[in-house]
Parts: sequence; structure tokens; C-alpha cells
Amino acid sequence: MTTTTSTPTKPGIPEIVTNSAAPRPSGWLSWLTSTDHKRIGIMYIVASWVFLVLGGVEALLIRLQLAVPDNTLLSPQTYNALFTMHGTTMVFLFLMPMIAGFANYLVPLMIGARDMAFPKLNALSLWLFIAGGIVFYGSLLYTPAECGWTCYAPLSETAFSPSNGVDSWIFLVHLTGVASFIGALNIFVTITNMRAPGMSWGRVPLFVWTMLTQAILLIISIPVIAGAVTLLLTDRHFGTHFYDPTNGGSALLWQHLFWFFGHPEVYILVLPGFGVISEVLPVFSRKPIFGYKAIVAATLGIAVIGTLVWAHHMFTVPLPFFLLVFFMLGTYLVAIPTGVKIFNWIFTMWRGSIEFPVAMLYSIGFLATFLLGGITGIFLATFPVDWQLHDTYFVVAHFHYTIVGGAVFAMMAGLYYWFPKMTGRMLNEKLGKVSFVLTLGGFWITFLIQHSAGLSGMPRRVYEYADVNNLGTYNMISTIGSFILALGVLLTIINVVQSLRSGAKSGPDPWRGNTLEWFTPSPPPVNNFDVVPRVRSVEPMQDIRRQIERQGRVGEEAGVAAGD
Amino acid sequence: MSPSNLFRPTRNSVLFGLVLIAALLVPASSSFADLIAPQSGGGSPNAEGIRSLYLWIFGLGCIVFFGVVGLLIWTILKFRSSKGAVAVRVHGNNRLEVGWTVGAALLLVLIAVVTFLKLDQIKNPPNSSANGLATPKNVAFANGPAKPSLPPNGRSLNIDVNGQQYLWRYTYADTDTNNLNNVFSYEQMVVPTNTTVSLSIRALDVQHSWWIPELGGKFDAVPGYTNYTWFKISEPGVYKGQCAELCGRGHATMIASVKAVSPAEFKSWYAGQKTAILAAEKEAAAARNKLVAKDAAALKLAPKAEAPAAAAPVAAADGKKIFVAGVPATGALACGSCHTLGAAGTKAAVGPNLDVVLKGQSAAMIKASTLYPNKVISKGYAANIMPANYGTSLTKAQLDALVQYIDEAVNGK
Repeated sequence: MTTTTSTPTKPGIPEIVTNSAAPRPSGWLSWLTSTDHKRIGIMYIVASWVFLVLGGVEALLIRLQLAVPDNTLLSPQTYNALFTMHGTTMVFLFLMPMIAGFANYLVPLMIGARDMAFPKLNALSLWLFIAGGIVFYGSLLYTPAECGWTCYAPLSETAFSPSNGVDSWIFLVHLTGVASFIGALNIFVTITNMRAPGMSWGRVPLFVWTMLTQAILLIISIPVIAGAVTLLLTDRHFGTHFYDPTNGGSALLWQHLFWFFGHPEVYILVLPGFGVISEVLPVFSRKPIFGYKAIVAATLGIAVIGTLVWAHHMFTVPLPFFLLVFFMLGTYLVAIPTGVKIFNWIFTMWRGSIEFPVAMLYSIGFLATFLLGGITGIFLATFPVDWQLHDTYFVVAHFHYTIVGGAVFAMMAGLYYWFPKMTGRMLNEKLGKVSFVLTLGGFWITFLIQHSAGLSGMPRRVYEYADVNNLGTYNMISTIGSFILALGVLLTIINVVQSLRSGAKSGPDPWRGNTLEWFTPSPPPVNNFDVVPRVRSVEPMQDIRRQIERQGRVGEEAGVAAGD
Repeated sequence: MSPSNLFRPTRNSVLFGLVLIAALLVPASSSFADLIAPQSGGGSPNAEGIRSLYLWIFGLGCIVFFGVVGLLIWTILKFRSSKGAVAVRVHGNNRLEVGWTVGAALLLVLIAVVTFLKLDQIKNPPNSSANGLATPKNVAFANGPAKPSLPPNGRSLNIDVNGQQYLWRYTYADTDTNNLNNVFSYEQMVVPTNTTVSLSIRALDVQHSWWIPELGGKFDAVPGYTNYTWFKISEPGVYKGQCAELCGRGHATMIASVKAVSPAEFKSWYAGQKTAILAAEKEAAAARNKLVAKDAAALKLAPKAEAPAAAAPVAAADGKKIFVAGVPATGALACGSCHTLGAAGTKAAVGPNLDVVLKGQSAAMIKASTLYPNKVISKGYAANIMPANYGTSLTKAQLDALVQYIDEAVNGK
């Protein structure tokens, strides 16, 4: 249907063209059966936001229960089920699929490809993820799991968790795991094989670099968690004893396997966010990214070291001393490339000409928030200090600062930045700014004080607490903040729904972007590009704009000369 | 102010924010003692050490955080777009980038050095003070990868901490071989001041975590492993904590407390507990005998349990029977359910492999080890696991038959 030929006729940039493209199909069936990376991407994002609402409601229920000491609003069973569902939902059903959605939509566009390498596998990934979500939320009809998103054995064994909620959790990990694994292979193959002519590794957009790295991390870590939950499944139903210490199994085996996946998972969530920030900051500072190669190197460095530090989640279990030291120093090492990135981002803005649309505001909010999450990470990496902080609200605060500050704020920046490309309409900037202030403010009110709750002796995952050491005050502040945060997110959802219908038309390139997705119309046609330009730098759109300007000038001069 | 300017950061708003932060930090010093640092207060050196290490990192972290956020805010204010402003097209600066990489590394080296300097105080228990409780030398054993924490002279009050859904049980180590008559308590642990208390932390069912914030860090109670920590309290008082690892629906109510009293008070509490336990044991034994007698009378049978076994001549072959099946009537557990012995065909691994550890040992030694299992402990195994009741649960003839059997099985005729 599409044919590609080389047309070196004009002296300009165009390289590969398509002569005909199928018309855009419509109707709901065309969405369900679509293998178009853009439609799959949008379905990923929409589904993930449905789960965000569910996970958000769970979070608000948790905060309501904790608002006052000795509260009896929820039963311990309901409370344990809620934080299990909240954590699992936010990791497996909101953030991972939302990132997969953005990656699906953007990676082919940014590298000048007409689709992903394996479009049908791509659709399979999406539907497996949705199946995983349905299987997990189906447990609401009987007894949801109560073992936390980490589901430590032997608590998750049948002896202590007899309900099938844990099984539905296991199937969720399997289904979304397979979805992520296939998706990662697809992204990897697409990026390594389908880049536009001229896009050598030194010219690949930074978002694409982070997605490539993330894909490798997924390929390394997903099989381990899949194996771990399979062993749990056979323990629960087929008479094995992998995690059962009364029959020669080991409770620590689960923790090692889980965190071998669980720690890279953190980078699986935040690296794409780093990529978004690295795209948004240069555009609105009107300046190239500062230290492109250093940022790429830091991304790869974080991935390599990040795979080798999992046991810093286990400093309080019986471990030999040298392992404590190894995992402490290893974790310190991760801080170096992360710190490098923060300075690179700030110096990208330095001596720029900075504009402040909502996407940029979220990027700046990301910098300050993620910075604090990184610093508290050093506290926790120091194992004697971790002995006090481990499994307290200090840790809860820390990982919300890294995951919400690192991944969610960055993806919000991405939403405001790429929404015009996906829909052809702008989001309302004014409403977006109100949403940003509420989201960022609400977040800091909710989580900053949780550090203090942890320092005052409050462990995580408790459904009630006594009113000692000001815990009542701290938790009330946190609960108030969480509702402000929720209002902020709600405003963004309202913004999206309104703007879909009545947002200003955006045109192909509303921000004067740097990368190839801004070369096509908004929303892009099915085949993405009629002409794939040759890439000559890491900012191909700058080159194209210059080229057009030059040709325009030449044309004008020629016209003036010929006409009069 | 027009809407477009509303969210543009201004110098005033930044100043206001800084004043607000400062205002929030002022009350932190007095009434909100745990606002910025972990708890301590019992005078236990490990908790003090962790708190001071934390404050070091906190100070450095504040410098980095406020430095970088200051730079960020300065950049945003100074380089916000304005008429005629042109961005400078810079792609990087190698010297600068190497500079902050090295800077970050040096900062982390500093933190690592401080950590190692503080580590001794946090990790290694000191000896008990002269005004503390005089305690016997502990038998050090390790079950799992962690090492016991004992003071240099090896003397501490050793308490076995056992987590179970949803309470803590504390068993005080003593010097006799019977581990069924030890002093124990639930939920509240009573300890003497100025005495090093070493804890062996275990779990009965799922994972729990031992944590009394004012007495140092938390240590997980993992089923199948033993974990270790210690504390040494100088201030009498009650120190509260709770389980810190999700262990089920009652996790939030699994509380723990440590009550520190003077050594004299501790001694009297301990003696009281011991007397009560011995009395209760006596009472229970009397009640048991009464029940047995009642049953026997009801069935019109002569009491069988003691007499016939003692009277009957015991053949050597019975040694194997005792080894494999024990003597259930008197509570003598089967050796083979815990030990491997090739000749008897048992393969259990709870205790040491007898074919290995008893090779070349005399019959007297085998007998002593059966009667007093805690006298000699094989490497890698724990004391107080094997029952020490064989002196009472076996008759002399049965014991001799058993010892003779094991001797022949391991060392030949």
C-alpha cells in the first residue's frame, strides 16, 4: 500500500516519501482492532488514567482512615486491601502503561518511522495489560489481596493468605509482565532498526534514549518477577515449598527475587520521565540540551548500577556485613549520574530565554521534587540510618517524591506538551496552571510531613496509630494535602475532556519543537510522514525551519527578480 | 496582575516562601522533637550513633537541596523570556560537567567516611557497666547469614525475641539445660539499666520487624533465620515501639515495649517470675498425674506408663526402636526425627549428622551429649534446640540401650 522511494530531486532535506496511504478508519471497532501505534498509544494512556482514578480513590480512602488517630472508618482487612490495590494499581496499571502509551505514540514519530516494528504484537501488549487490570480488579468481587504490592512470602502463602486475592495479584503480574516484556522488545527493535536516515546514535532524541534503556531494563527484570510469582503460585496450589521455611524453603528468596525486579522497576518508571524533561526543557528555554552525551551516559549508568543495588531494600533482614556495605556504596554510586542530570537540566535553562507554559512548570516542579526524593534516598542508602527509617512513613514519603516527583510530574509535563500533537487541540493553559499549582502544592503538603511521621515512629501499612509524638497533627496535614492534590489532578482531567471538544486548534508545531513529531500534522495521519526528512542533528526541526527560511528568502529574492 | 503574570515566579513570592519555611522550622526545635531526626533518649549508644549520623547527612542534604533549588529559582528568574532576550546556543561544557560529577562523588565519599566512623558505636555493643547486672558468658551461635552482636567480654543479658501474629514473646536465656522453665514475657520486656542486652530475633509464622525507635534501628524477624541486635539503656523508663513489617490484619496492634529498671529491681522481678513459673510447672505436673490416675481408674487399668518400661529387661535392639520412634508415653522424642544416622535409616537435618559428629567418640561422651545436649554444640547449630529431658524420660536401661546402639551404629562393634 505504501511505497517508499528515494527522491533526491530537490536539494532540500526530504528523503523518503510515501505515495499513497489508507484513509483513516473510524468507529469503535476500528479502535479495538487497531494496530496503529498512535491509537494503541492513546488507548494505553486513556486506560491508564482510568486506573489512576481508581488508585487515586483508594489513596484518598487510605488518607481518610489515617486523618485522625485510632480511626475506625475502615476495617483492618479493607485497609490492607486498599493499600495493596493502591500500590499495585499505581505501578502496574497506571504508570507503566501510561509510559508505554507515550512511548508507543511518540517513539516512531520521533525517530521518523511509520509504525512500530511489530504492530500486531503492539496490540497484543495493550490488550494483555487491560486483561491484567480486569483480572486484578475482579478480585473486588471476592477478597482482594492484603499483602501489599510487595506481597512478601510467607505472608502471601496459603497458610496466611487463604483467599484467592493473592492469585489474582499473581495473574496481574503475569499478564502485565508479558505485556511489558513484549512491548519492551518492540520498542527495542523499533529504535534499533527504524530510525530516519541520518539519525545516528548521537542524534537520537533523549526521550527515545531513555525508552531504549527502559526497554533493556524491562527485558532484564520482568522474567525474574515472572519466575518469582510462578514459584509463589506453585507454592500456593501445587504443593511446592520455595518460600516456606517450615519445609526447607526460604522467606528471603522471595525478597531477593522481588527486589531484583523491584529496584530496576524504579528506574523503569523514572527514566522515561527523565526523557520527557530532557525534551521539554530545551524547547521552552529555546536552547539546546546542555551536555547531550553526559545525559545519555548518565541514563545508561543509572540503568547498569541500578540493576545491582536491589538489596538496599533489605538492610534490616539478616545479611552478612560485607553485603550491607556493598549495597550501600552501590546505591551511593547511582546518586552520581542522577545528580549529574539535575545539573545538566538546570544549565539547559541557564542563559536561555525561558517560557512558562504548563509543560514547563511541571518540568520545574519535577526538578525540585525529584531532587528532594534523591536526597532522602541517600539517607536510606546509608544502612545504619536505614535501620531507623526502613518501613516507616519516611520511606513512604521518599518513594512518593521519586515516583510522583520523578515519573508522574514528568509525564504530566509530557501530557501538556504532546496533547496538541495527539489531538490537534491545545489544552487550556489557564486551567492547566491552576491544576499545576494545586497538584504541586497538594503533593508537598501531603508528603513532606510524612518524613516527620516516620521519624516520630509511625511504620507504614498500619490502619491505625496512637496519638503520640504529634502523629495526629502530621497525618491531618497529610490528608488535607492529598485532597488538594486530587483536586489538581481532577482539573487536568476536566481540562482534557473540555479541550478535546473546544480547545484551540494547535497546528503541526505549536511549541516550535526540536524533534521530528512536530514535522507532521496534528494529529498525524495513519502513515505518520508522507516524507521522512534526513536528520542532521539532534534538533532536526531547527534544521528544517532554517532550511525553509533560507528557501523562502531565496524564493522571495527570485520572485522579486523574476516578477518586476 | 494579569492572568498570564499570575504564575510567573517573582522575587517577592520566593522571599515569602523562604520566610515561611524559616517560620515553620522555628517550633521544630522545641515541641516537635522528632520533626527532623530519628528518636533516641534511652541513652543507648546505637540510637545515639544513628541519630548523629542522620544529622550529619541531614546537614549535607540541606546544603545540597537549598543550594540547588536556589540555583534553580535564580535561573528561572534571571533568564525568563523577555523582549529582546536571546538564548545562548551552548551545547555543554566539559570542564563544568566533570566538575559537578567529581563534586557529587566527593560528597558521597564524605558521607561514607562519616558512616564508617560512626559504625562501631552503632553496630558493636560495649560491655555492661560496673553498676549493671552481672551476666554469664553467652553461647554465641548463628543461624543464617547474620552474626550475633555480643560485647567484647562476651557477657550480656541474652533474650530470645520471637515474633508471632500478633505479639512478641521474650524468653530470657538462663544457665540450666532445661529450656522449658525459662523466664518469659509477652509484649513488655523488662531489662536492667547499664547492662548490655543482646537480642536474638526470630519469627514463628510470617515476617515481623523488631523496632523500639529510642533504642536503635529495626531488625526483621524472618521465619527460618535468626537476626541480632542489642541495646544498653542508661535511663530507666518505658520505651515503646511496634512491629514494622506488614504481618497481617493485626499488624498495627502488634506493639512492643521495653521497661528499663535498676539491676536490683530486675533481679527481684526475675526471681518472682522464676518462682511463679516453677510453681506453675509443679501445679501442672500434679494436675497431669491426677488426670492420668483418673483415666487409669476409669479404664480399670494399672498405670502403665512408668512401671513396665522400667521393669522390663531392655535388649540392645530396643536402642534402635527408641532412636527411631522415641518413647511417646514419657515424652522422649525420637532422635531420628532430627538427626541423620545411616544405620537407622534416618535422614533429618534439624540437628547434626550423628554419623559425622559422633565418629570416634566414646560411649561416655555419647551418653553425656544425650543427657546434656547444650554442653557441646556442633558448629553451625544452636543450643536449646534438642530436648534436655532424656535423663528423666528414659529409664537407665533404656538410656544405656540407646547409647550402646548409637555407639555401635557409628563406631562399629
